Amino acid sequence: MKDDELREMAGLCVKCGTCRTVCTLYPQRKAEVAVARGKVAIIEGALSGENTDMESVQEALSDCLLCGRCERACPNQVLFEEIVMKGRADLAEEVGIPAWKRILFGKVMPSDPAMRVLRKAGAAAERVLLKKVPTGSGLHYRFPEGFGGGGRTVPRLPAKGFIESLGKDEAVSGDVMLFVGCVFDHLYPGVGRAAYETMTASGSPVAVFRDAACCGLPAMVSGDRRSAMENVESNLRRLREAAPREIVFPCGSCLLMFKRNVLSLVKEGSPLRGDAVFVAERSTDYASFLLSSGVLDRLPDPPAGERAGEIGYHDPCHLSGTLGKGPQAREVLSRTVGSAFAEMAGADLCCGYGGTFNVRDYPTSARIGENKVSAAARGGTKVISTACSGCVLQMRDMAARTDPSIRVVHIAELVRQALSGAGKSSPER
Amino acid sequence: MESAALADLGELLGDRLQTSLETRTCYSFDATRKKFLPDAVAFPVDAEEVQRIVQLANRHRFPVVPRGAGSGFSGGSLPVRGGVVLSTERMDRILAIDGENLYAVVEPGVVTETLKEEVRKIGLFYPPDPASLKFSTLGGNIAECAGGMCAVKYGVTRDYVLALEAVLGTGELVRTGVATMKGVVGYDLTRMLVGSEGTLGVITRATLRLVPHPESFTTLLALFSGNRQAAEAVNAIVAARVTPSAMELMDRTAIDCVRSMIPVELPEGTRSALLIEVDGAEAAVGREADLLAEACRSRGALEVRRASDERGRDELWKLRRSISPALRRVAPVKMNEDIVVPRSRLADMFDFLSGLAARKKVTIVNFGHAGDGNIHVNIMIPGTDADEYRRAEEAVEEVFRAAVEMGGTISGEHGVGIVKAPFMEMEVGPMGVSVMKRLKECFDPNGILNPGKIFPEESAVRR
Ligand SMILES: Cc1cc2nc3c(=O)[nH]c(=O)nc-3n(C[C@H](O)[C@H](O)[C@H](O)COP(=O)(O)OP(=O)(O)OC[C@H]3O[C@@H](n4cnc5c(N)ncnc54)[C@H](O)[C@@H]3O)c2cc1C
Ligand code: SF4
Ligand code: SF4
Repeated sequence: MKDDELREMAGLCVKCGTCRTVCTLYPQRKAEVAVARGKVAIIEGALSGENTDMESVQEALSDCLLCGRCERACPNQVLFEEIVMKGRADLAEEVGIPAWKRILFGKVMPSDPAMRVLRKAGAAAERVLLKKVPTGSGLHYRFPEGFGGGGRTVPRLPAKGFIESLGKDEAVSGDVMLFVGCVFDHLYPGVGRAAYETMTASGSPVAVFRDAACCGLPAMVSGDRRSAMENVESNLRRLREAAPREIVFPCGSCLLMFKRNVLSLVKEGSPLRGDAVFVAERSTDYASFLLSSGVLDRLPDPPAGERAGEIGYHDPCHLSGTLGKGPQAREVLSRTVGSAFAEMAGADLCCGYGGTFNVRDYPTSARIGENKVSAAARGGTKVISTACSGCVLQMRDMAARTDPSIRVVHIAELVRQALSGAGKSSPER
Repeated sequence: MESAALADLGELLGDRLQTSLETRTCYSFDATRKKFLPDAVAFPVDAEEVQRIVQLANRHRFPVVPRGAGSGFSGGSLPVRGGVVLSTERMDRILAIDGENLYAVVEPGVVTETLKEEVRKIGLFYPPDPASLKFSTLGGNIAECAGGMCAVKYGVTRDYVLALEAVLGTGELVRTGVATMKGVVGYDLTRMLVGSEGTLGVITRATLRLVPHPESFTTLLALFSGNRQAAEAVNAIVAARVTPSAMELMDRTAIDCVRSMIPVELPEGTRSALLIEVDGAEAAVGREADLLAEACRSRGALEVRRASDERGRDELWKLRRSISPALRRVAPVKMNEDIVVPRSRLADMFDFLSGLAARKKVTIVNFGHAGDGNIHVNIMIPGTDADEYRRAEEAVEEVFRAAVEMGGTISGEHGVGIVKAPFMEMEVGPMGVSVMKRLKECFDPNGILNPGKIFPEESAVRR
């Protein structure tokens, strides 16, 4: 393994151990291999030539949720997420994609495995639909072969995706653009719709980015630099062309991809760099958009004292942690539901989804997620709201496993409910 | 290590024995950033397994190196002679908290902060607070006799260890001490094990003394134009007959280092800072804080900041807690020493250090627990230049000599490990070393536990 840039990034780690205190995985593994410091050492071993078994190194690097908690706690600004993504990509190029991931990658090819997911879900009519989920969509990464196993709750695919449900002339122009993301388009179109409708409540038109490619994050965290780059290029070109004033993301992970990761993929000096910076600067989270656009001023006063403290907010690792947008989401919530919102126990704990980690090691992912959801439930939370697609997927599954009475919603669904007045339409589960 | 030994260990521990290069790599370092690969890593879950491992080690003659969180600054947990790293990470239960008799019983792998938080819930306090408390283990704290910020008032780890259970180098299990405050039957084996750096026994259980949690805290940050003024303020505080629960000193290089990472506004000309804390009953704390602020001002403090609420205090503390890791920004490699001098010699030591830095043309960053005379002297090595390195090494030796001459010690809390082994004799003398060696013989006749540490000629490598 050779990579001078990686060597330099890894060299910043002084092995102090601070990352042990926050690692999502450490309590599960209770071994140094789980934490950032250990993985940095493994990478250093591979870079120095001491370790030549690249497949084992690859395996070790796979065992991480990329939640970034270590990176944020690190007093030395070791960019651990980037180190892991870079390491995974280098290794994928050197020894190929690890076996367990090949299953995922197979899926960039059309919808065969996704069909299997559908078969588990059972509804015959829905089969037709997944064919429409475009090749390269993040969904194909999220639902590999055998995905339904291990007691997992597989989301049912609705009859129509959000974008598909839009009229031909609907949401085509406007200098604010909505990037829905694969999950909120195809799997939970109600979220996509809620985001769209609440954004338009400001009165100015919102364009939906219709033929968006996947944000590229699932490919990137899998070490598939090329596919990620393809997604990124396609999106950057079209966004530059459309030149929106603002690009709004209901999903924190997609936002991270556009705000931060594209800048590490598209290096300085690359012809695309200008587009990447252009897009990164204009990308914003759903909550911040609502706050700046005045939508919340249109809300009726939240009912006082009703269901006090029942709605919590789960901090998506990247949205609240890396991008620091936790306060914005909370402000939206308190202005939307009033005293029904209260800080929930363990709000900033990772949900355990970790992108491909959930596929790689479902039992561990589930233990982390169950801890999260049951801590919230014990603290009296009945509705967990959040703003990231992976977190919604994971916590709905975890709620089903631990306490099916817990609802998991996107904040946009709560805003829409409030805007529509009396809370008649209940958000989808 | 011979394969028969690994096979026996594997049979004993199953998948809690790991030999993959990746896992061995993860247990090859500590916070000194030096690296020695072990042959295997063992994760025992109880004292009996620890005993069986050490028994096997005696049969097959392989080294056993206890390891907590690997946050040591002297290389204590490094397997310099190979063998098995015995990780205590799976022995991490708090077994009892006795609120009536004021003690806690813990396994060695419990993280320091975890115990502090648990006892806090019932109004109790486990005072030792190394800056690494969020990740260091109690086993590691005991084995290094870790100190911390509050040592000036509350003492160090040693002062809170009532009783221990440990597996000796022979594989025998010994219980030392009693859970009561008093107890004088026989030699004090508990103290013998405290600070023994994993060379005499593997601590498998500890009974730790607790005290009532202080009612309130106030933190002061006093900013000075130089180290001497700050050191004199420390003496003024002692003269005012107030015992702060912490008194931390940061010199200019340390301040600059942190400021490059965390935005802090400091008055023009700030060259040194004292972070002082008082705790106790609310009324007393307020009065004492006034006295402290007065003492600082009388020695020319440029500004004195004060906070009593958790957030404000945390903000002030953050400065101090961030230094150690932030030092890397000044230079990629450093020699980190933790000498102690009598408090009244602090100012002399600072003068000596700045003279030394100029003489040896090296950057020296100083900070530490000034309340107890403990200074962390960091000699920075910016490049890979051999001459630079040599000058730094010479400087270290001079620092040690000066500390001993002033009536202090070459290590206040980080321990000897491999990095200070060559200087042991300078402080304890040949007779001291000889007695220690005889004791080592008695606890660990076959030299199984953590070989290559503490004793001068045994240390395989230095720095
Ligand atoms: C950022 C940072 C700040 C620090 N601040 C301080 C500070 O303020 N004060 C201070 O004193 N230290 C400090 N340290 C040093 C270090 O954290 C302490 O020495 C701590 O006590 C080590 O604990 P550990 O669990 O990491 O032990 P390790 O590093 O794993 O081991 C340390 C020694 O203890 C032995 N050991 C570990 N467990 C056992 C056991 N169960 N039985 C027998 N021997 C055992 C090991 O063999 C080794 O010799 C700091 C370190 C860092 C990285
Ligand atoms: S916190 Fe940062 S510097 Fe410290 S060990 Fe972890 S990654 Fe390395
Ligand atoms: S990214 Fe998360 S899971 Fe991975 S090492 Fe860091 S804290 Fe642990």
